Amino acid sequence: MNISSLLRKEAVFLDIEAADKNECIKLLADAMEKSGILRDKEAYIETVLKREESGTTGVGFGIAIPHGKSSGVGEAGLAFARLKSPVEWESLDEKPVFLVFLIAVPQESAGDQHLRILMNLSKKLIDDEFRKKLELAETVEAVFEIM
Amino acid sequence: MYTQDVVIQSAMGFHVRPAQLFVERAAEFASIIKVKHKEKVADGKSILGLMTLGVLKGDTITIMAEGKDEEAAIKALVALLESECSKD
Repeated sequence: MNISSLLRKEAVFLDIEAADKNECIKLLADAMEKSGILRDKEAYIETVLKREESGTTGVGFGIAIPHGKSSGVGEAGLAFARLKSPVEWESLDEKPVFLVFLIAVPQESAGDQHLRILMNLSKKLIDDEFRKKLELAETVEAVFEIM
Repeated sequence: MYTQDVVIQSAMGFHVRPAQLFVERAAEFASIIKVKHKEKVADGKSILGLMTLGVLKGDTITIMAEGKDEEAAIKALVALLESECSKD
């Protein structure tokens, strides 16, 4: 699976401000809505926040991968934000988060589609070089090239 | 070195939530803990590392521990996968 094909140009933000985790998720969901992949933004956000309550999606290295499989999603998509100021995400390594990937998957999608997206994204994120490039990317186009 | 195979029962495979529970428990032990799946090996104390293995429901993984509390670590992690991680 090609992760970059899921990423929406309108949903990539570099060095934006978000007060906290919830604001960051809402901001990315707004962008997903604008790119046309959400049918019901509020329903989708509710799924994502509920998922966060059951356990953080902060995976370490300053990265969080919030996600939701919801009837509010029309087609699978990915949004990315690099935050100007890191926010608390209750990550196990206790580091605040500044790289956020929000994943949206339709409710009716194949059972393991979201798992495959998570796996493919993790494979990239575990690579030091990849993270470094994401941290240094200066334009949205550069982010697409890296992905 | 102490190892044991476990079949993953969680519908979520071995992704964020189960991986998080696993890492939290693994961190309680001094031993080096690794997880092997289809010839790929990941650090058992890294959520991201475990997620890269792409483990799905029904897959068998091998948990490996090396250190002074290796046996206790394996027992605790296998028990975790067979109970809490199989719920969702």
